[in-house]
Amino acid sequence: MRLPASSGEWIDRSKPVEFSFEGRTFKGYAGDTVSSALWGADVRVLGRSFKYHRPRGVLSLANHDTNALHQWGDQPNVRADVTPLVAGMTLTAVNTFGGLADDKGRFLGKMARFLPVGFYYKAFHTRKLFPMWERMFRTMTGLGSVDLASAQHTTPKAYDFCDVLVIGAGPSGLSAALAAAAQGADVVVVDENAHAGGSATYQIGNDTSRRRLLAELLAKVAADACIRVVTATYAAGYYKDHWIPLVSADRMLKMRAGSVVVASGAFEQPAVFRNNDLPGIMLASAAQRLMYRYGVKPVSKAVVLVANADGYRAALDLLAQGVSVAAVVDLRPAAGSAEPQAKLLRQAGIEILPGSCIVEALPGADGLCAGARIATLQADGSPSAQIRDIACDGILLSVGWAPAANLLYQAGTRMRFDRAVEQFVPEALPDGVFACGRVNGVHELERRLADGTRAGSHAAASVGFGRASGAALPPEAECPSHPWPIVDHPDGKNFVDFDEDLQFKDFRNAVQEGFDNIELLKRFSTNGMGPSQGKHSNMNGLRILARLTGKEPQQVGTTTARPFYHPVPMAILAGRGFNPERRTPLASRHDALGARWMPAGAWQRPEFYQVAGKERLACIREEVAAVRKGVGLIDVGTLGKLEVIGPQAAEFLERVYTSNYANLKVGMTRYAVMCDESGVVIDDGVVARLAEDHFYFTTTTSGAATVYRELSRLNTLWRLDCGIVNHTGAFAAMNLAGPKSREVLATLTGLDLSAAAFPYLALREGEVAVSGGKIPARLMRVGFVGEWGYEIHVPASMGGALWDALMTAGKAHAIRPFGVEAQRLLRLEKGHIIIGQDTDGLTTPLEVGMGWAVKMTKPFFIGQRSLAAIAKKPHKQQLAGITFPVGYSGAVPLECNLVIDGGDIAGRVTSIAFSPSLERYIGLAFLRPDLAAIGTTVSIRLTDGAMVQAEVSATPFYDPDNLKQKEAA
Amino acid sequence: MISALAVSPVAEIATLLAPADQPAAVARLGLADVSLTARHGCKGPGTVAWLQGLGLPIPPQPNSWLPLDGGGRIARLGFTEFLIEGPDALIAPLVSAPRAAGVYPVLRQDAALILGGARLDELLRQTCNVNFRPLELAARPVVLTSMVGVGVTVIPELRNGQPAVRIWCDGTYGHYLWETLLGIAVELGGGAVAPHSFN
Repeated sequence: MRLPASSGEWIDRSKPVEFSFEGRTFKGYAGDTVSSALWGADVRVLGRSFKYHRPRGVLSLANHDTNALHQWGDQPNVRADVTPLVAGMTLTAVNTFGGLADDKGRFLGKMARFLPVGFYYKAFHTRKLFPMWERMFRTMTGLGSVDLASAQHTTPKAYDFCDVLVIGAGPSGLSAALAAAAQGADVVVVDENAHAGGSATYQIGNDTSRRRLLAELLAKVAADACIRVVTATYAAGYYKDHWIPLVSADRMLKMRAGSVVVASGAFEQPAVFRNNDLPGIMLASAAQRLMYRYGVKPVSKAVVLVANADGYRAALDLLAQGVSVAAVVDLRPAAGSAEPQAKLLRQAGIEILPGSCIVEALPGADGLCAGARIATLQADGSPSAQIRDIACDGILLSVGWAPAANLLYQAGTRMRFDRAVEQFVPEALPDGVFACGRVNGVHELERRLADGTRAGSHAAASVGFGRASGAALPPEAECPSHPWPIVDHPDGKNFVDFDEDLQFKDFRNAVQEGFDNIELLKRFSTNGMGPSQGKHSNMNGLRILARLTGKEPQQVGTTTARPFYHPVPMAILAGRGFNPERRTPLASRHDALGARWMPAGAWQRPEFYQVAGKERLACIREEVAAVRKGVGLIDVGTLGKLEVIGPQAAEFLERVYTSNYANLKVGMTRYAVMCDESGVVIDDGVVARLAEDHFYFTTTTSGAATVYRELSRLNTLWRLDCGIVNHTGAFAAMNLAGPKSREVLATLTGLDLSAAAFPYLALREGEVAVSGGKIPARLMRVGFVGEWGYEIHVPASMGGALWDALMTAGKAHAIRPFGVEAQRLLRLEKGHIIIGQDTDGLTTPLEVGMGWAVKMTKPFFIGQRSLAAIAKKPHKQQLAGITFPVGYSGAVPLECNLVIDGGDIAGRVTSIAFSPSLERYIGLAFLRPDLAAIGTTVSIRLTDGAMVQAEVSATPFYDPDNLKQKEAA
Repeated sequence: MISALAVSPVAEIATLLAPADQPAAVARLGLADVSLTARHGCKGPGTVAWLQGLGLPIPPQPNSWLPLDGGGRIARLGFTEFLIEGPDALIAPLVSAPRAAGVYPVLRQDAALILGGARLDELLRQTCNVNFRPLELAARPVVLTSMVGVGVTVIPELRNGQPAVRIWCDGTYGHYLWETLLGIAVELGGGAVAPHSFN
């Protein structure tokens, strides 16, 4: 039912909004949430509970009503209590079987005694039946449905910056913002509600001065150019250096603040008594929100359970809005500071029952709240046997608060439990973090304003704006929270955690089982592990554990608060999705030639070039054949390309690579192996000497950035007279390979390409003719693929021109571009290893036949000392060639299939492929050294468990005498 | 001429808006490719003296830049690392000058972009975690940071009263950076324009 319009309400009654829920059409207003619109339309059951499928209504109306989760089209788990109403919404309650009204899942409530806390840890251990139970549990415990076909919703993240971030736009937060801005700081105030004002917008107590105060506060903030107010957005976590993700419906804003004021307030806490979950039972603050924000009458006749002055003010608000108040039940012996409000209530004829409690809520035939069973409290805090039933359709709870301290915990705040306010309060805040208001243990309105002013001033001063003024306030004169708002009941259903349907007895059982530590209790009972993350259950859970174990709350402590504060949709977390990708300057050429791309780190490389009508393998073999018999061209621009320049450049390379470079002649290249301190191979490449003091060298594609970073570090450490330049992206590079490569290149360069003038492993700098002119190039005679070939490096901006020139020049020899797969096969035939494929994180050069490249006689290189020690011990494995017979037609191992000997693992295959040149399968495998002798037959276990035999063979498989690199060939 | 053969890293994807649409796009957020502007890099302990010997001004501190006579700019990327960009006539002598002791030439084959317009800050805040707003342009700052996951060098400036940035990145990231920035620019009402649109 709607109340008459009032000033300050958030709904726009001139804009009706039609929507449907569970197949019925309803009408709300713009500014409503789904829950407020439904409650305003007298819908009392908004969802079903998670475990027992009990009907549930409004609890907090503050983003914690996790039993009122709805499916809205492809959006699962829409939080009805805070989600703005949208015209045309079609909503259904989640977690029902057959709809909300006729939910067949409710039979689970009748089986409650068979489903005690932690029952799943003790049952369903039959291995055979486990899949069935797993399927059943997954079906029964899911909430909303994810539509994998739903359209992508763009949610770009953004960064933002401010001097002071104030989290919470309640009275203390707004005061903090004004104080910080007054000192000159750029201030952002963020609040998860649709409008600023916090509790001041609804905790009125029928007191017009409170409304006036809020209006003045909001007007001052609006007029201050230094303050930006961001509403409908919540601070989802706290990260180092005051980095706060601010999450709204559309995006995440990553706010970097100079300092942070946490004015996040407190969560009103429910009381625990039997049937405390019946629709109609809600927090007093929820009822106040319904009335003042949405113009909705929460109930018709209420019993108000209180333990503080806020509860009395709530009762006055109910009266002011035309709600009948059947009684005010105070857990305390007297009203204390709320005596003026109690007097007003008595004058209005309201019965006040001090020193009493609600033992049980009484359900009506419709399952909704129909009454409260009251008893006086005895000296030991338990209810007396004398009971009294009061008819009502709602019970409002105002028994205490728990600080919304999640962000403070994440920031590293040391908290202490303060008995004066019965809550945890900050004891030691991190630098640049400040707290004020209820989260700081300050509850009364005037005091919250003062506390906010203090915190805002200190926060601004901490980032250099003005001087900090104000000191911490003295403690509250009266405790705002009851230390034990809990009533046991032999029939249970006195819920502590509404997310997971945890009852008081579940905690007792958990402690009896030995889970008497707060973290263990949480995991065993799942208290606080539901969608509200314990915002209404952790405090009572902690109190129960403290009492059951005879400890103080401080001793019990709290569980770890982790980001995020509320669940964040995956789309918001993902944001736009940036995936940096590198392309060589030849990418468009590869596309035009039909390249099939494959990722190689951040790069995209052609795996092979698709020829119309041919299978992948056929294409690759054709590319291989072209290189072996004619000429091929591959883009190797992804290789790391570094230079070291200076008088001690050679000395530097001597230290970082295992081989000798001081004696490398200008104009020559040499293979290079890099190890780490433990002697493990981490990279390889080719070092070319351009001048006495100038080397150009390549690294693996994936290793370029890491190697450059490490070499830069070492150069800083060693202080040698040389410098390192990373030219990886600055040079295009391609390998022209094959017996016809020299003829092709000869048409484009004036360099003498004879074997005498440009021998194997030589380096030349010269010019290469391209369409429109000549370009400077570095050319290296390399043999990675086992054929006569040239690696040609040119400035990246001219790479395309060179590629085009080579392809044109090669036409006469049927030149083919070849991709990574063909290169892998070609190098395998030649027995060349690939770092990372034929080595792993433990492989030394000695195990992969590279002892020849390790010069132990040098004074020093990285890994030398470890290799010296390793060399004295027998090798654990040896990389060796393996072959299958010509004509073999059986199953072939995959890379990583294991070599088995005597039932034990004796090695693994690292590379394997069919060699068209040798007409047989060839491969490389790590073998136990006693199996590595040439001619040995080894057994390899296939993925399906079958065993096949291969023969250990010498490498290189192809051109073992390297004749292809000699003129005679 | 060597420079005549050079191709921008984004040449094949830099499809510009129709000329008539470019002024409006630039007012909101224009993206232009200036990769083919000649540039040279150098680093090493001898660099400052070497550049001074060639008559170039030296920005007094790292992460700052100075304009060059005849156009262009010299940016100091570190204590001993510089990026010089400008007309061919200015850069060619640097490239061909003999390498001096303690001077390590850096081949700069960057993708170089200009991004500017009224909605620049929105794009920067979506792509980079550096706060450009408080930077004093009079101090000629140079920002070395990461943008959409790519290492970039950025110089903020004003062009026709509108905020703008010059961005340099490794040319092999140019394709990705251009497409990503352009996608956001288009969302914000901008688009790809010719460099002279900013004049």
